[in-house]
Amino acid sequence: MSKVNDRSRDIGEYKVQPDDDIIICRCEEITKGEIRKAVYEGMFTITEIRRYLRTGMGLCQGQTCGKLVKGIVAKELCVSPLDLEAAMSRAPMRPIEMRVLGNEKRGGE
Amino acid sequence: MKRYDVIIVGAGPAGLSAAIEAAKRGLKVVVFDENSKPGGQLFKQIHKFFGSKEHKAKIRGFKIGEELLKEAEVTGVEVVLNAIVIGLFLDKEVTVNVNDEVVHYKGDAIIVATGASENMVTFEGWTLPGVIGAGAAQTMMNLHSVQPGKKILMLGSGNVGLVVSYQLLQVGCEVVAIVDAAPKIGGYGVHAAKVARCGVPFHLSHTIIEAQGDQYVTGVTIGEVDNKFNIIPGTQKHFDVDTICIAVGLSPMSQLLKMAGCNMEENPKKGGFVPTCNEYGETSIDGIFVSGDVSGIEEASSAMIEGRISGIAVANKLGFINEEELKLKSKELEQALLSLRQGMFGPENKGKDITKTEEDCDVSINLLKKGYMTDEEVVKYPGVKSIKGIHAVIECSQNIPCNPCQDSCPKKCIRIGDKITALPIVDEESKCIGCGMCVASCSGQAIFLVNEDYEEGYTYVTLPYEFLPLPTKGMKGVAFDRSGQEVSEAEVVEIKSLAAFDHTNLLTIKVPNEMGMRARFFKQI
Amino acid sequence: MKKEEGNNMENCADVIIIGSGVIGNAAAYYLAKRGRSVIVLEKSDNIGNGGSSRNGGGVRQSGRDKRELPLAIYGVENLWPTLSEELGMDVEYYQDGNLRLGKTKEHIKILSNLSKNANESGLDVKMISGDEARQICPYLSKEVIGASWCPTDGHANPLLTTLAYYHKARQLGVRFITGEEVTQVKKIKGKARQVVTKNNVYEGENIILASGYESREIACTFGIDIPMNRVLLEVLVTEEQPPMFYQMLGTAAADFYGHQSKHGSFVFGGSSGYEAFNKDNGTPTTSSITASAVCRGIMKYFPILADAKIVRTWAGWIDDCADHVPVISFVEEVPGLILACGFSGHGFGISPTVGMLLSEMVVGGKTSIDIDAFRYDRFKAKV
Repeated sequence: MSKVNDRSRDIGEYKVQPDDDIIICRCEEITKGEIRKAVYEGMFTITEIRRYLRTGMGLCQGQTCGKLVKGIVAKELCVSPLDLEAAMSRAPMRPIEMRVLGNEKRGGE
Repeated sequence: MKRYDVIIVGAGPAGLSAAIEAAKRGLKVVVFDENSKPGGQLFKQIHKFFGSKEHKAKIRGFKIGEELLKEAEVTGVEVVLNAIVIGLFLDKEVTVNVNDEVVHYKGDAIIVATGASENMVTFEGWTLPGVIGAGAAQTMMNLHSVQPGKKILMLGSGNVGLVVSYQLLQVGCEVVAIVDAAPKIGGYGVHAAKVARCGVPFHLSHTIIEAQGDQYVTGVTIGEVDNKFNIIPGTQKHFDVDTICIAVGLSPMSQLLKMAGCNMEENPKKGGFVPTCNEYGETSIDGIFVSGDVSGIEEASSAMIEGRISGIAVANKLGFINEEELKLKSKELEQALLSLRQGMFGPENKGKDITKTEEDCDVSINLLKKGYMTDEEVVKYPGVKSIKGIHAVIECSQNIPCNPCQDSCPKKCIRIGDKITALPIVDEESKCIGCGMCVASCSGQAIFLVNEDYEEGYTYVTLPYEFLPLPTKGMKGVAFDRSGQEVSEAEVVEIKSLAAFDHTNLLTIKVPNEMGMRARFFKQI
Repeated sequence: MKKEEGNNMENCADVIIIGSGVIGNAAAYYLAKRGRSVIVLEKSDNIGNGGSSRNGGGVRQSGRDKRELPLAIYGVENLWPTLSEELGMDVEYYQDGNLRLGKTKEHIKILSNLSKNANESGLDVKMISGDEARQICPYLSKEVIGASWCPTDGHANPLLTTLAYYHKARQLGVRFITGEEVTQVKKIKGKARQVVTKNNVYEGENIILASGYESREIACTFGIDIPMNRVLLEVLVTEEQPPMFYQMLGTAAADFYGHQSKHGSFVFGGSSGYEAFNKDNGTPTTSSITASAVCRGIMKYFPILADAKIVRTWAGWIDDCADHVPVISFVEEVPGLILACGFSGHGFGISPTVGMLLSEMVVGGKTSIDIDAFRYDRFKAKV
């Protein structure tokens, strides 16, 4: 569902806001200000913000902060949060020890 | 590799219901749940459900959970607990983490019923210990018997916020306020009324400015917001609290579906990111179904019906039942689902400004803004009549799909009719015997028995009462009105706790005559 | 630069780059640095969404095909050490060496051969004993009997490197457009000039095609074929661990490769053995068996990581060229066209060098390192 997105379009400048130091991604301790700034540095999608800042890469994999990050980025880009695609979801659905993940068997065997 | 006819992820109301329907029709079913107890959110729900008999109305959530579990057992459903489905791969393969192993299974069909998770809201101090989700508070109280805190502020006036606030009162917490940025209370008026008469104030059009505290929450400041969501200067209010409960909605936990490659959509009406699916819950991937909150946030009652629909659809898909049976059964269930989705709070009416009920009565504005109806407003509803002798007074003023009161009266004094969203009417001709079944059956605790003619100078009011310790006969105290204000002295005349009431005790107090239509709550002095 | 009649001036630039992976972004940066106007077109919604954001982050010289070695060595000696500073962003480059581990006599034989080949090309790789390896990295299993050791190898963060080049290039005025799928490169009067997308037409004096496997389809539109296969590889990452060791790791048996990141998490790639046959659903999809296999591989060499929790797995495609080294080449029969694709799973480590070379190709027409081995027309029949 790609939409043409010119990264050089004018989205204004980053201006400090009083609540910039609120933590948004609790797992990785990323603040609102860092997320807002990242948009102005060219990160226009949730996936790019994620790869740039690590929001959503912690233990909960974005379950807590996902909606919050979307709202912040959408506001800076002046788009609806609905226009921002969610980041990918992957296995494992919960953190799992290496020794458990490696301890595989087929059901019924 | 072990191949099941259907693998169900999540043993909540949707998952178990789906499992039962599939197993009943001969399918080999397994349900995996990551928790140590099945039932999903049901076991935390200690309040009586709404709806009609087929929706399990007036039965407490956890009881419904117990019934579902029993039925699942009887129909031969395999439920595996402490089993985390860690991935949903191509060819409908799942990997499940049980104990210290990861086991591969395949299903001819998969039903994902993983429910939803709580939304968060940020404000200065939101990461302090003491800021918890309302659902988390519910888990602490109802599953682990732990009091979440002593003084609590609730953010969010939807049904979750209202119901959990009441439960917090029941475990002895003080709820200092219910706050919502919206201008109207989002949940049922009757849920709001239950807490309003206990003295919990509502602050609509307010938001949390900051939570104070160094190592944990010690206080909170709220402020009024304008229509641009800016704080209006001078409207700050401070509360000393140790806990802030957040009840600002749920988001579907649809990660497994996204991972599997289903077509997804961001749908605000459904609460967030959901897979697109047909009327049976089948997603864009053949054989992968969804039901319950993961497909769209509703309630347990809807989840159970959706689960049953998916279970039956899977049975048809895999050739266990024919097209005819599918159409017949699903039509019946879709009707049930539809009836739940009617009324003032139905999805069709979301966001609309409703000013009149279906009966053309005025919707109580005070109820929407403050959580209680005024004395003038309450008498306008068909459940509130002035009748000689003992009679029911039903303070039900919003069209919601609910009718246990109708069936509860042995004398047929209460009438709703076929459309279950209709406001209950008290028949002025019928002979009330004061059995109190209606009071106990109303899930919204909105029915009272009033008798102005028993004792000279006094009105006897029978209230639904679900707090401990129970007051005793002869106890003296204070009567409170719908807004939680003290209105008069009151004396306990009777306290009745029958098995048929299912823990809704009937507390009869006597108050001065003129207070009969005002006294709606009692506290010992 | 001239523009074709009728085309929007805004859509014209000195260079049009197709693909915003690390190669395309690096080229864009080095070109912008040299004063060229650049437009980068990316098909997906995200910058660097292909292999660039999915690989294991290795910046190594050892274990490479001889032909790639000069590019790798150049990067490690001249570009990587100061890259973070130059791009104004920390790309988390570590040069703590590369240990390739062996547990059996056969493993040691394989590693010794690799070392010998590397030495012949002037690279400092030597064989060390199991004990010596454990001195470098005390967390190794006692079962490791030997390793090849390349002290100048290392690793970096591929996500940040890709975005750092993007970020800096954008600052220098490069225009990046995502959601622009290229359908055709058109020659105008004998010269490659136009890049046609589903929505627009762009024009450039030079066109660099750097879009991984998808370069093949685009190359068809100007009559060129790059023999590549798309192979699915998988990676896993753990939660944050206390700092343990920062060597790049691999094994003779090729069970896994990876490293500990600056964040503390361990990133490991590996295979189940079915990579060439793995299916997907149109997007890089993880299989149900690979991550488990990689875990077992890791635990054989690092038993201490057995309790480390895996938080995520992912997959990505590599553009595996027929002879497993890239095509970095002018295409003389299509003047103006430069190819940079087919990096076969080891493009990240040489990406700064390749970016630099691509800028040299555009500006001066020749490169400071010989890239003859990477010509587009090298694919000849075996007989």
